[in-house]
Amino acid sequence: MKKSSIEINKHPIDKYLRRDRMPHIWCPGCGLGMDITAFIEGTKQANIDMNNMQIVSGIGCTGRISGYIKLDAYHTTHGRAIPFASGLKLANRNLTVVVFSGDGDLFAIGGNHLIHAARRNVDLTVICVNNFIYGMTGGQTAPTTPVGAFSSTAPYGNFEKPFNLVGVAASAGASYVARWTSLHTKRLANSIAKALSNKGFSFIEIVSPCPTVFGRKNNRSDALGLINELRDRSRIDNSANPTEIPITNYGEIVIGDFLNEPRPCFSESFEEGIKKTKERIEK
Amino acid sequence: MGIVEKTQKKGTSKKETREIVIKKERCKGCNFCVEYCPRDVLEVSEEFNEKGYHPPKIVNSDQCLFCGLCERICPDFAIYIKNNETEPEKEEKPISETTHGLFNIVKSKYEGEFFMQGDIACAEGAIYAGCRFFGGYPITPATEIAERMAKRLPFLDGVFIQFEDEIASMAGILGASWAGAKSMTATSGPGISLMNENIGLGMMTETPCVVVNVQRGSPSTGLPTSWGQADMMQAKWGSHGDYGSITLCPKSPQEFFDLTIVAFNYSEKYRLPVFILTDAIVGHMIEKVIIPPPDKLEIINRKYTKKRPQDYLPYEAESNLIPDFAKAGDGYHYYVTGLTHDERGYPIMTEEVQKENVTRLVEKINTYSDDIIILEERDIDKADIVVIAYGITSRTVIPAIEKAKKKGIKVGYLRLITIWPFPEKRINEIARNIKGFVVVEMNLGQIVLEVERCAAPYTSTKLVPHAGGGIHNIDDIVKAIEELAHEKK
Ligand SMILES: Cc1ncc(C[n+]2csc(CCOP(=O)(O)OP(=O)(O)O)c2C)c(N)n1
Ligand code: SF4
Ligand code: SF4
Ligand code: SF4
Repeated sequence: MKKSSIEINKHPIDKYLRRDRMPHIWCPGCGLGMDITAFIEGTKQANIDMNNMQIVSGIGCTGRISGYIKLDAYHTTHGRAIPFASGLKLANRNLTVVVFSGDGDLFAIGGNHLIHAARRNVDLTVICVNNFIYGMTGGQTAPTTPVGAFSSTAPYGNFEKPFNLVGVAASAGASYVARWTSLHTKRLANSIAKALSNKGFSFIEIVSPCPTVFGRKNNRSDALGLINELRDRSRIDNSANPTEIPITNYGEIVIGDFLNEPRPCFSESFEEGIKKTKERIEK
Repeated sequence: MGIVEKTQKKGTSKKETREIVIKKERCKGCNFCVEYCPRDVLEVSEEFNEKGYHPPKIVNSDQCLFCGLCERICPDFAIYIKNNETEPEKEEKPISETTHGLFNIVKSKYEGEFFMQGDIACAEGAIYAGCRFFGGYPITPATEIAERMAKRLPFLDGVFIQFEDEIASMAGILGASWAGAKSMTATSGPGISLMNENIGLGMMTETPCVVVNVQRGSPSTGLPTSWGQADMMQAKWGSHGDYGSITLCPKSPQEFFDLTIVAFNYSEKYRLPVFILTDAIVGHMIEKVIIPPPDKLEIINRKYTKKRPQDYLPYEAESNLIPDFAKAGDGYHYYVTGLTHDERGYPIMTEEVQKENVTRLVEKINTYSDDIIILEERDIDKADIVVIAYGITSRTVIPAIEKAKKKGIKVGYLRLITIWPFPEKRINEIARNIKGFVVVEMNLGQIVLEVERCAAPYTSTKLVPHAGGGIHNIDDIVKAIEELAHEKK
């Protein structure tokens, strides 16, 4: 009897989480938990066999996501989630492989892997949590830190031009590209479902609040204030060109489902190429 | 199948037939003819010839002037104008019987006796062992391994991918391994330096795979096309932290083949990335290689758990110290991390778990070192001096040993086929009964440090170093043997 009463109190998402690892290590008001919820919803929508789903992360606050979702999950080294995931996927095409990692992890130390996996159109869904800073290591400049924003390694304000993540992914060859904030959970979930269904390199940027580190260093440490700010600054425009919508420190954040142009993925092209050769040999 | 393509055109005065003939099998794809034909009669074809080139094809036969420019310009005598005076074409060997070329590599059964390059023997060894995923980045003198895998794997339902760098290559083969594939990468010193972080990930997550280092002269870019043996310590200590590791060192193409299979077996049995350290000489040398029929050699495959998901702990090692795998996608929902972890695979940042985790990584190799260590010994029981060498250097020491023997010195030979775990026990044993060890290696003193550690306090050790890029002078080795033999104890 006691058992059933426990079951009644079980959060619907719990069956997808490693409950024995809760509570998680993230700060209050951190967007990462919301991102997990949207992710689970997206996978349900896409009707993916959860046992086949593989989650790969690099290192960082975001990198810890793989440790909380109860699926086959891999916490790899800083920046190397994508090539690890490519190996997983290419060696077993039945697996659905998702990379969930931070902006520093995927675009600084791992930037080279990202553009090449996008170019090859490896069948991966890459979800990048952009909190504009290195969270885990205490607030250093990321390749996404807006000009003028402060970090522990940009004590006088950042003067480096940041990457526009969706622009980089689209230019490199991603076949599905979207950007949402953590707050747009429904639309984010829809996008995750679409990304999972795209047989190719799908990229989703989630603009996500980091009140503790980004917020504190930039006079926005109030978590609610930060999430409201993301709401107020964002504007949905699905027809926007992803290469033309960089994010600034206080300006508009254009969000949407920007690009969905399927093309043969790496494995399909590989197979096709070999098939042609085989035919030639057999002649 | 014809090797000749024809077009015909009537001559104006006489009843003469002229035609362009393309001997496709000779073509090397320079496209001179295509480019220079004044009438655009020729075009590059889609088809490949035996050598892998695209020979030209005739597209506008009625435009041909029979000017003969193509015939004159072709560097390979592969195109000509045939007229009534031309001697008739003799029957030529059908393409499929030619012994070279891409298609034959793809079609052939690799079994029997071959003249084979070391690097290629390595790739064939990997395939024999069941390797079906190769991720790599080109680097001399290891590129031939990748090239061979690129040709072979797609036809064995395997995957070859040239990654953007060695960091990705190492990460990629770890991922492939978790997907259940036997996976491998091959590189040289600079590549290993880039791979080292993810080699550590492989050690910590206990991921089977094989990493081949065809050593060049080093440090840094060093001697790209030449050789050395200066990455010996890097193979043991390259990634940060403590972990047991296995390194094998072949001396010939045959051994490169054999030890690649052993490396895969060890990697599956003991769950770790296993190194093969060879060098540019063995990698590029061509010698006889015998490939036995499939199933002749022992192949060890992955051990998967029989437990149900609810009872399974991914890093629970029974008394054998080696945890069983669960298959990705089978609903085990395991978590794999490079962080210090407990049996569940969960990160736990405590002194106790750190000790348990890391100690097991070291102990699982120490415990099985007797099974892992392979040595070749000659004349050791009667010897005063024992020469220790490995890899290509073990071939240089043979004439030196013969020369020293002629001078009346009793010399034994110990070849380290397994470098790591280091054969401490055996060297310690030998040390008690001899006057000294001469260590010959192509670096300025690496494995000699290990020998000294095991030989002291029983006997002395002398190094014959070489910086790489050449081979040892036989007389230097003889001199070292003599000095040690006549040393007063
Ligand atoms: C090779 C290497 N260099 C540096 C680090 C330290 N490190 C850990 S996480 C991190 C930054 C993570 O930033 P981001 O990807 O933006 O993730 P966040 O923590 O913000 O989610 C760094 C530099 C590391 N783990 N490995
Ligand atoms: S530091 Fe920032 S990103 Fe990391 S857990 Fe805290 S709020 Fe989240
Ligand atoms: S206050 Fe924040 S953490 Fe608490 S229940 Fe509401 S949303 Fe969740
Ligand atoms: S004979 Fe002259 S016109 Fe004819 S194919 Fe050759 S180059 Fe071209």
